[in-house]
Amino acid sequence: MTKKFLLLALTLTLIVAAFASFPVAAQDRWDGADDLPVNPLDCPMAEGEMAATEEAEGEMMMPEYDGGEPVNAPDLAGQDITLVDVPKLIGVGYFAATTQGMQQAAEELGNVSVTTDGPTEANIDDQIAVIDNYITQGVNGILFAANDPVAIAPVLTRALESGIRVVGYDANSTPDARQWFVNQAAFEGVAKSLVDNMAEQIGVDGSFAIVTSTFTTPNQARWIAEMQAYQEKCYPDMTWLETVEAQEDNILSFNQATTLINKYGPDMDGIFGMTSIATPAAAEAVTQAAVCPLASSEGAAANEDDAVVVVGLATPNAMKPYVETQCVERVVLWNPVDLGYAAVYVMRRTVDGEFLPGATEVDAGRLGMLPVVNNSEVLLGPPFVFTAENINDFDF
Amino acid sequence: MSALPETKALDDAPSFSERLSSALFRQEGVLVLIGIVALVVLAFGSENFLTVDNLLNQTRFLAEIGLIALPMTYIIITGGIDLSVGAIVGVSAIMLGVSWQNWGLPLELAIVVCIITGVIAGLVNGLFIVRVGVPPLIMTLATLALYRGLAEGISESRSVRGYPDWFEELGQGSALGLPTQLWVLIIFAILFAVVLARTTFGRSLYAIGNNELGARFSGIPVGRNKLIIYSLSGLMAGIAAWIFVSRTTTTRSDYGSGWELDVIAAVVLGGTSIFGGTGTIIGTMLGIVLIQLLKNGLALTGVTSDATIVIIGSVLILSILINNYAGAIFGALTRRLRPTQRNP
Repeated sequence: MTKKFLLLALTLTLIVAAFASFPVAAQDRWDGADDLPVNPLDCPMAEGEMAATEEAEGEMMMPEYDGGEPVNAPDLAGQDITLVDVPKLIGVGYFAATTQGMQQAAEELGNVSVTTDGPTEANIDDQIAVIDNYITQGVNGILFAANDPVAIAPVLTRALESGIRVVGYDANSTPDARQWFVNQAAFEGVAKSLVDNMAEQIGVDGSFAIVTSTFTTPNQARWIAEMQAYQEKCYPDMTWLETVEAQEDNILSFNQATTLINKYGPDMDGIFGMTSIATPAAAEAVTQAAVCPLASSEGAAANEDDAVVVVGLATPNAMKPYVETQCVERVVLWNPVDLGYAAVYVMRRTVDGEFLPGATEVDAGRLGMLPVVNNSEVLLGPPFVFTAENINDFDF
Repeated sequence: MSALPETKALDDAPSFSERLSSALFRQEGVLVLIGIVALVVLAFGSENFLTVDNLLNQTRFLAEIGLIALPMTYIIITGGIDLSVGAIVGVSAIMLGVSWQNWGLPLELAIVVCIITGVIAGLVNGLFIVRVGVPPLIMTLATLALYRGLAEGISESRSVRGYPDWFEELGQGSALGLPTQLWVLIIFAILFAVVLARTTFGRSLYAIGNNELGARFSGIPVGRNKLIIYSLSGLMAGIAAWIFVSRTTTTRSDYGSGWELDVIAAVVLGGTSIFGGTGTIIGTMLGIVLIQLLKNGLALTGVTSDATIVIIGSVLILSILINNYAGAIFGALTRRLRPTQRNP
């Protein structure tokens, strides 16, 4: 009998320990899971300076190339090349859009063929295996979006050592494990756009929660760190309620958002969705809970206090239903089609020897010249805000 | 009531080893056959497949799953299951990183902490299963969530990075021409195989799986042996975590998620009955190798990874069908075997 009690006590301790550790995690300072310094942009009053600051920084830090170099890579300038694209996972709208952009670029260039293959879940272990197989199979170049910046490094280094060109997009690896990284948007730019759009809708003293993938996913963790820095700087009266993990899983995201709505009720004014899965799931949760902000929308909140504004990163197609019902007003993102397009162009220019370490910009076809930032990254441009007016112009 | 299982155990006793060996050779034969067919087909599919470099490289990917599959074979032979192994990998890996970076322990000691964490996690499973009588499926399903939660909580969901070069040797280096972790797997596989086939402890696992009550009445320390195998499961998950962290040079709280299914699939493909009572380490190792060969070979022949999973699922079903079909013929030729009776 005593043994049973001891065991029960042990379980309880374990469970309590597990739960006790969560609030600590939630209230700690968000460090982007990489301990890099945050760099909040100027507040909205100084709108015009954003682009200027970024460019100035690019010039200032210019440019100690810190990417890697393939070993004994064959000279394939102007020749047909075979690329493989390994996104975080396949079967989601976002990476379908980057694939679409890559195919567009390949068609334009005429001497590039790209195959997209990747894990079916955003899992670093599987992603490593996929890349490893393509190294063995022999391709001319690898495009990747990392599930973990450090864990993916050894396999990418192996690719470089085998003479394969490596260019990242969407989610970076450690710089020396790849040559270039196409950065879809500066982290601080995205953070600013998200927080500004939220503040315009819920006011400078509103309170919000965040639904993200995992606390260590490179992009999301970094954005959240920048959002915290920017919010503290520009909207000190806003209340950051909670940040919850929902993997990149539809049902889990919906459940997490619903839990937030039920938990905080009128105390919560807004939810940020950090992935193209979390944002529509949050919008669905808000619709089903009938707490949409606009009175005219379907599922409108009975009481204004209950209303929950959703602002987030998502593909337009996923958000169209909610923008149409007016439950969601704004969706922030870059154009992933352009992102995939730019990645293939950067790869082609690298193979052709036209884009070498130390370069300050690169010719990316219809996108024009893209600037090099952070030593070995190519910046796609400022983020884009989708609204009811423009969202139907996009199909991805 | 007590006389019945006793008699049954005695009835089973004479045919036990005979029945066991015939059943096993059958499944292993089927596996070797499928393996050879797969090798030939895949070798024609891609010239890069059947090379020493590629095959050796693949062993890096199967070592962690392989190590965990060894004690899982023991557990499934006893009619149990351990769903928490993936989560134990997660919590052990996190303890390695956290104790090294946050607590400032020397890395050597952190490795010990990692392995001990695994053992404790496995022991807790075992204690509840044996002493409280929680069914293994329920207990390990609960700890699957609990250990994963601990991993996220302890790490504050941050990853630990920046391990020194010597630490990466285990996961990325080679010894005597073979990947380091392959040596670890080979040594443990031999150890586990010998213990299972040649020791009283090993034989007792079959007895427990065939008839737990009977085993108890025969004086086999059922509880103690179960405690040992669930702790072993934790131990091997801890070692696998160490190797995995070394291979990927970083620690994440989501490490090992979903591994329990890979491990169980390999064990079952290897001929271990999920109902307990039969199974070998050789079968399990063949299962592990076959799954990895398929994953790698199909990828190299240009099959995308989503289609690969479908094919592996089909092979799993196919091999079990072939096994059952062969079993029916075998049974007709020799003598009809009664299905083993489950625990009441």
